[in-house]
Amino acid sequence: MSDSHLKREEGLPSTKVRLTLLFSFGGLLALMLVAGLQALDLARQLHAQEEQLRQAFLARTQPLLVLSSTICVYNDRMQEFLLSQDPQAEGLTGQVFSQLSGEINSTLKMFPQARQPEERALIESLQRLFTEQQGMLDPMFSWSPAERHRQARRLLQEKVVPEQARIHETSERIALWDAEQRGETDRQIFASFSSLQARQSSLFALSLAAGFALSLASAFYLLHLEREGQRRYKELARSRSQLEELSARLVDAQESERRSISRELHDEVGQSLGALLVEVGRLSATLPPAEPQIKEHVDKIKTVAETAVQTVRNIALLLRPSMLDDLGLIAALEWQGREVSRRSDLEVEIQSSQVSEKLPDEYQICIYRLVQEALNNAERHSSAKNAKVVVEQTADQILVSVSDDGRGFDSQRIRGLGILGMEERVRRLGGTFAIDSKPGSGTTVRAAFPLLKLTP
Amino acid sequence: MRGMFTMKTIRVLLADDHKLIRAGLVLVVQQQPDLQVVGEADDGRQAVEMVNSLKPDVAVMDIGMPNLNGIEAAQQITQSHPQTAVVMLSMHADEGYVLRALKAGARAYLLKDSATSDLVQAIRAVVEGKSFFSPAVSKVLLQDYLRKMRRTGAEDSYDLLSPREREVLQLVAEGKSNKEVANLLNLSVYTVETHRAKIMQKLNLKGVPELILYAVRKGIIS
Repeated sequence: MSDSHLKREEGLPSTKVRLTLLFSFGGLLALMLVAGLQALDLARQLHAQEEQLRQAFLARTQPLLVLSSTICVYNDRMQEFLLSQDPQAEGLTGQVFSQLSGEINSTLKMFPQARQPEERALIESLQRLFTEQQGMLDPMFSWSPAERHRQARRLLQEKVVPEQARIHETSERIALWDAEQRGETDRQIFASFSSLQARQSSLFALSLAAGFALSLASAFYLLHLEREGQRRYKELARSRSQLEELSARLVDAQESERRSISRELHDEVGQSLGALLVEVGRLSATLPPAEPQIKEHVDKIKTVAETAVQTVRNIALLLRPSMLDDLGLIAALEWQGREVSRRSDLEVEIQSSQVSEKLPDEYQICIYRLVQEALNNAERHSSAKNAKVVVEQTADQILVSVSDDGRGFDSQRIRGLGILGMEERVRRLGGTFAIDSKPGSGTTVRAAFPLLKLTP
Repeated sequence: MRGMFTMKTIRVLLADDHKLIRAGLVLVVQQQPDLQVVGEADDGRQAVEMVNSLKPDVAVMDIGMPNLNGIEAAQQITQSHPQTAVVMLSMHADEGYVLRALKAGARAYLLKDSATSDLVQAIRAVVEGKSFFSPAVSKVLLQDYLRKMRRTGAEDSYDLLSPREREVLQLVAEGKSNKEVANLLNLSVYTVETHRAKIMQKLNLKGVPELILYAVRKGIIS
């Protein structure tokens, strides 16, 4: 839980938000998937329904049409029978007719239960027509050809032709009914399609709405994160500048403390020790020569006092070299160089060009400390034999470089506290700082300070 | 009649902001019958004023004084009162200070550590126009010089000087004027000047203070 608490504090998405996002997007995708699958399924259903309806339609209307046309054929045959001279020769025998009537009867029997009254009425009328025709035809078979010839015209006029007309009428009614049925079927298909479409549309509308809501929510969250990020960045920038200011003030405090300690050491302790030496010197001078033991003690006091004076002096100079204030930057650097040369194997050379003796104190102390640090590093870590310090002053800047011929180091990776401190101090005065060093090829520390106004 | 043998009293001004040290030096000077302390100063400005008003023979000055440091005070004094010889007191045996002091016109440079034992000698030397350096100072300068020669492998340019030039060098370092050198060596002033120029060139020296420093390093003068 502490992890999510941390994340919330940092403004990062916590587990809860992550899960919500995951489920929302997942759900949306699932929704769209379901909608797609459902559409496919419904299309299939529709197709099946359509097929079903069509089959039912066909099953209903086709037989009727076939029936009516068969009855028409029967009627036509009857007419032909009546009119022909030799029906036998034309194949219009009783057998043929009974075959036809057999077909018609079986078809009639095959009819599915008529559900609609209209359908029933049509079937009944067809049946009636057929029965009438049969009734007309049956007696005709027993007639002689002369009888048939005599009766033909009359029958045709009174019975057969009207019958034919009635058959046609019925056929037309069937056709009409067929068209109605087709229209009904179409309507049904259309209705089912409409409902499917409605369902589909609603599902898509839902997905769209969900998608829109999700993207809106995401956009808001994103904006929120961005704002958070901005805020954090501002905070960071402010902290950094506060830190820089703090470090600058620390450096100032440190330098002024060093200065005051150095002065105290020089004025208070140094003076007392100096006076001590003076008195010891006088004591030594006024000693009676016949007392070697006393002289021994006095000499010892003298030695100790001298050592103490040296020590205090060295500490004071390390803290703040009086040369900086008395003789200026270059003289102080030259002294530094000589000190380093005296106490180590490193020989230091100082070169200067046009450097004012009265630079502002903060520049002097910064450059001095920079050179001090660079030379210390060269002395301690690089086994260098020679070092060169160059300080150059132009119209608008001061350039400082310290180079040695020592071991070098990987300046990209190793940045000690001393180096960081140098860099910080230089940057605070608006200067640039760079270290060139590669293992095996010496080190050069460079700094450049812009001078805003020069005191000549 | 046995006349009173009056020794010329050497009038000395002592300037040091460290009162205890100054008191000690005063005592040392006062012990000498021919030396007289005519004034004590706390800082450089006061020292200059006192030289103006008291016109002492010797002014002993500490380098590190407030208001006006010893070197700048020495500069002013030697320019306005060339007859007052300046003895510099310092805590540092370093050629930077020594050179600066010499450039400012001081003729003696003493370390405070050994001031009590060196002071009287220094005062007497500068009164006679000679220079004087605390032995420790000479030692440090010499050591620095030798070390540098050794490390940089440079030749000791002293070997380039002819015997005559070396004589001239010593006398000039001791503070003698061209005329005095000419007299002592039986040469014309012109010759002396030529030698001087040659010496400066061979030893790569920029001026008399550097020459004196060189001489101290080499132990030609002390």
